[in-house]
Amino acid sequence: MSDVPIRFRAATEETPLARFLLIGGVLLGLAVLLFAPLIVVFFEALRDGALAAVASLANPEAASAIRLTLIVAAIAVPLNAVFGIAAAWFVTKFDFRGKAILITLIDLPFSVSPVVAGLCIVLTFGANSLIGGVLVGHGFPIVFALPGIVLASVFVTFPFVARELIPVMIEQGRAEEEAALTLGASGWRVFFTVTLPNIRWALLYGVLLCNARAMGEFGAVAVVSGKIRGQTATMPITIEMLYNEYLSVAAFSLAAVLALLALLTLTLKTGLEWRYADQLAANHRH
Amino acid sequence: MKQPLVHQSPIPGLGLSAGITLTMLSIIVLLPIGALLLQGAASGVDVMWAAINTKRTWGALLLSFRLSLIAALFNLVFGVAVAWVLVRYRFPGRKLLDAAVDLPFALPTAVAGIALTALYAPNGAFGAIAKDLGFKIAYTQWGILIALIFVGLPFVARTVQPVVEEIEREVEEASATLGASRAHTIRHIILPMLTPAALTGFALALARSVGEYGSVIFIAGNIPMKTEIAPLLIVIRLEEFDYPGAAAIGIAMLLISFMMLLAINAVQVFSRRRIGYV
Amino acid sequence: MHIEIEDISKEFGATAALHPVSLSIPSGALVALLGPSGSGKTTLLRILGGLEFPTAGRVRFDGQDATGLTVQERRAGFVFQSYALFRHMTVFDNIAYGLNARPRAQRPSKPEIARRVTRLLDLIQLPAIGPRYPSQLSGGQRQRVALARAMAIEPRMLLLDEPFGALDAKVRKELRQGLREIHDTTGLTTIFVTHDQDEAMELADLVVVMSMGRIEQIGRPQDIRAHPASDFVRNFISA
Repeated sequence: MSDVPIRFRAATEETPLARFLLIGGVLLGLAVLLFAPLIVVFFEALRDGALAAVASLANPEAASAIRLTLIVAAIAVPLNAVFGIAAAWFVTKFDFRGKAILITLIDLPFSVSPVVAGLCIVLTFGANSLIGGVLVGHGFPIVFALPGIVLASVFVTFPFVARELIPVMIEQGRAEEEAALTLGASGWRVFFTVTLPNIRWALLYGVLLCNARAMGEFGAVAVVSGKIRGQTATMPITIEMLYNEYLSVAAFSLAAVLALLALLTLTLKTGLEWRYADQLAANHRH
Repeated sequence: MKQPLVHQSPIPGLGLSAGITLTMLSIIVLLPIGALLLQGAASGVDVMWAAINTKRTWGALLLSFRLSLIAALFNLVFGVAVAWVLVRYRFPGRKLLDAAVDLPFALPTAVAGIALTALYAPNGAFGAIAKDLGFKIAYTQWGILIALIFVGLPFVARTVQPVVEEIEREVEEASATLGASRAHTIRHIILPMLTPAALTGFALALARSVGEYGSVIFIAGNIPMKTEIAPLLIVIRLEEFDYPGAAAIGIAMLLISFMMLLAINAVQVFSRRRIGYV
Repeated sequence: MHIEIEDISKEFGATAALHPVSLSIPSGALVALLGPSGSGKTTLLRILGGLEFPTAGRVRFDGQDATGLTVQERRAGFVFQSYALFRHMTVFDNIAYGLNARPRAQRPSKPEIARRVTRLLDLIQLPAIGPRYPSQLSGGQRQRVALARAMAIEPRMLLLDEPFGALDAKVRKELRQGLREIHDTTGLTTIFVTHDQDEAMELADLVVVMSMGRIEQIGRPQDIRAHPASDFVRNFISA
């Protein structure tokens, strides 16, 4: 009598069929669109066996590309971190006119095509330009040299750290810093003992994304680097050159290294999101 | 009463943080973009227009815009589905999938480019299937479309996901108690609530796709008027040392991205004013 | 409508939210489900509305078994604690929603819908707010719009979950009176959930005191006050 022989479905649920189709469609779509290309990178790299893949990484061209990419990231990422911290401090600790415009300008590089970014740098610092001409005259070329690659990398990653820090620092307000100041702490001491501990995970998160993009940037670097073998060819540029020379295993082996870096980045990023969700920007999704 | 430029604050570091921010912004972003616009102004409107008003340039710009639009539309629908599935359903591997959605942000574009080409070339895993069906993907506009779908994939999913998380169950329940079927609730309650975020993601994906270079050029074939995208044409002009020509296309693309930024802001302002949320 | 609850129980996993409870609610009554949080009163209300499903037991509406009816089929006017107004719709569209959601054959014509919405806006004494959005309303106005929206579907009963919970004391008093008046004009069987014993005693014809998933006492307010059935009831109503 008190048994209920009825199958209930909650008012906020889709029918099982709709649910099955949705999950299935999304899984299939992501498998084809995301996972298949990722798998292909490793498959092609290992086509002639692991030895061939590793050997292709050891050749001078690939080795020099890896070295250059590490150097570029080692310069561009700290520059960006310093900018991000300074910009976030400026924007969140002070009130001034034109703040909204400043934030829009900081975000601007996100909406500029990497190729256009490279073009802008060539037009500014190229040998034919006013500034570039003077610098080249003093033996300090920018375009087709390391500084140009660094500039291009900083341009395309410009907002990464700042936009992670700004929301977090807005949320945390200024009270803790003000309290530390009333207790007699100096400005730097306040930053290192009060602000930095509060933003460290968001900072790491931004640096992680910035690094991934800086090491992988192709369009902007392709324009400014001149693609000189062994000198200005970063890893992505070298992948292009090897691929166009039909050195498939070599190209995909180098690509696999970058793909591993991408997977590492995603893993660390996801770990941060799970562990420190409350200390990251509320809208950490781009 | 006129506001002061900077309000007084007891917190130190104004000079240093403002100095670093404004100096780096000027040297790295504003000066280069200024140089592009200056190059345009120096060449004059006629030269610029002549550089843009060729069949080849129009072809490239329209191709980039048209295929980006189609890719972004696909991602609009697919991204909403991804966000819904990731937030609402529980199934094995969900967290892995959630993390994987960001892959196109993390994977370098050149890597994506050669991988997609290997996959969709006539001798590739998917390309071979297409070939058997009498169909070519790589080195055609279909190939470009697939690359653009790849790079734009996370945008809509990631903007919509937090909004799905915030939908109150009670709102959906209210719709049901008023007699609405589940389909009616989805169409009239849930989708309208997701629209502002979805449109923002759509515009972001569109802006990204229009300027995309690395993942496209390998799979594109790069035949003028057929599979030549606008960013590639800039690279070609630069290799020819045709700086005014490159600048003209660059400025055109800058204008397109600028208009898309305005559109995103308009969507958000409208939505905040009318409905009280983004 | 006469509502009968027969041995309804509800388990969430291993915990029992409702031990078998039985209750008969006469047609046209204004009933308060009174109890502290965790007493199972909201669960019982949601089971009546079809938003939650009993682990065992039956619900009858006018003698008919309604246990298996979907939420849509029940036609219960439900007012949520958060009101759950549709933020992207005007007040007018919110109230018209249930009518517009009907299958085409049963849907009233557009002028008819407009006429009914206008009448409901008059009933809640907010005739001019049709074009506004929920974000532009005060808390008390939102509550009344939620009530009007629930009334628009010509419900068979009214179910209200803490209808005055989110309001300040002054507005709360006014709206209590408003609910009483609407109940008396429509004659709808009305059940509301509250943790506020003053509210229950002042407003309801019949008070059901609940605790820990059980019904402690059912009775008219004056009877409960005069003869509390347990220590729990005595303590709770004197708090």
